[in-house]
Amino acid sequence: MKSKSIYKVPNGKLIKIFLDYDEKNHIINNINITGDFFAYPEEAIKKMEIALKNTKLEKDTLIEKIKNIIQDNQVEFIGLNADGLTDGIMMCIK
Amino acid sequence: MKEKWRFLKTKDNTATSNMAIDRAVLGANSEGKSPPTVRFFTWSPPAISIGYFQSLEEEVDLKMCEKTGVDYVRRITGGGAVFHESELTYSIVIPEAHPQIPKNIMDSYARICGAVIKGLKNLGIKSNYVPINDIIANGKKISGNAQTRKMETVLQHGTIITDVDVDKMFSLLKVPNEKIKDKLIADVKQRVTSLKHILGREITYNDAVKAMKKGFEKEFNVELVEGELTLYEKDLAMKFEKEIFSSKKWNHKR
Repeated sequence: MKSKSIYKVPNGKLIKIFLDYDEKNHIINNINITGDFFAYPEEAIKKMEIALKNTKLEKDTLIEKIKNIIQDNQVEFIGLNADGLTDGIMMCIK
Repeated sequence: MKEKWRFLKTKDNTATSNMAIDRAVLGANSEGKSPPTVRFFTWSPPAISIGYFQSLEEEVDLKMCEKTGVDYVRRITGGGAVFHESELTYSIVIPEAHPQIPKNIMDSYARICGAVIKGLKNLGIKSNYVPINDIIANGKKISGNAQTRKMETVLQHGTIITDVDVDKMFSLLKVPNEKIKDKLIADVKQRVTSLKHILGREITYNDAVKAMKKGFEKEFNVELVEGELTLYEKDLAMKFEKEIFSSKKWNHKR
């Protein structure tokens, strides 16, 4: 199932998430993270999108996974953070 | 003796060419082939640039752009969509390790914005930096800025709004919710200002550039020496313009 969310990160930027997910098992098939935030290095977002495939759509699972990806790739976000990204993704599932 | 940096005035360029020049100077500087560089430029035809992470079709009314002759391009920097029409745009390229550039990204935004603020002061405008990436005057935005760091080199570019047509801007940009479009336009009119509005008169390109140049010189305690793009940079810019910034693959990648 395809879904989209628009979320203003508290004290941050506006993110728009495009999510394709398995409705039955609540698993991410595909995700696109867009918005007016900053991420250094920029290429890390593509890695994030790839790494999030097949992740369970569960707040705790997502946040841990996102934090790990940030750490592994030494990503520096400005206007976005792991909590904001997780909340944006969770908003895609009603 | 003061350190000398290169100063470029490239005036009118297409959107794809402007972004390709920034990328070429970044490349040349990272290879030690060009000095730290401050460039001022404008956009012809008018154009929308979108942030690296934005979705083109989500943000920009491409049909309206085509109809009104407005270009569009994806930047290599993050941040939001900008309508470049009546503005002076700057870019600065400098090694990350340069002593004038703070290691911390937010600190370096503030430092580079400090040069713009000094430039505005030379025009008689008091302004200040508001994180994440804005400069405000009289409580309203007069400049937006965006930075990337690649190959141990910093590129920051930003706008100095000389005049603003919010209605035209919103005819080209898409809004998340059409129902509140009128309110959004009214809000932006309240939140954005321009040199023309504050000064009550038009300011020439040359006067604005002169004031900004002095601002950069003072902030960084350097002398900006007028120069040109090198042949190497021109070749690189042509290559990047053709292969990246004009390509559908790049502009529609999100």
